[in-house]
Amino acid sequence: MKTKYKVTGPVAFNDVQPGEEFEAELDPDLEARALERGSITKSKDVKKGGSDAEADSAN
Amino acid sequence: MPKRIALTDHVQCDLVDLSDFARQVQVAFSDAQVDVSGFNPAGTNEYLPGARTQSVTVDFYGSYGAGEVHATLYPLYKGRLTTAFKWRPDGANPVSATNPELRGNAKLYDYGPGAQRGSEDSYQVTFMAADAAGFDFFTT
Repeated sequence: MKTKYKVTGPVAFNDVQPGEEFEAELDPDLEARALERGSITKSKDVKKGGSDAEADSAN
Repeated sequence: MPKRIALTDHVQCDLVDLSDFARQVQVAFSDAQVDVSGFNPAGTNEYLPGARTQSVTVDFYGSYGAGEVHATLYPLYKGRLTTAFKWRPDGANPVSATNPELRGNAKLYDYGPGAQRGSEDSYQVTFMAADAAGFDFFTT
């Protein structure tokens, strides 16, 4: 399942500029490191097919 | 191909764009030269290429903010983790035959930041190829 992320670090992440959002299925360990160092925040899980699932931040 | 001044290179590690913190990239590909010489009238040596070692050394400016150099690289070294590394000459343009991108999975076997009074904080980090695929240049 893809997840929507926002780039919150000072530099681009996954070729996405700071402040912008992107959808991806990141490797869990890579995702954990990126969240820990503040490169990204999680916005939402995205179901296959495009519609949004529950906001991850609500969990 | 025109000559170029290296100014717009793209350096990415663990998906983080570290271009602005990097000032030098040095790729080092090397094959062991294995001596397979036998007796021969000319007394010359014969060699075959042996094990291949690939690395990329980057000069980074020391930066310790969230999502910057130290926060990106140190966890990789500390955890002995494998990460994706990319470098291409022109970050402003996509990968192409004239803007090839070096890609590969890498590990850090050394990590040594430091400082000297009055000087810029910078240090070298060497990314060693971490799997059988090694580093390679891609044009798409």
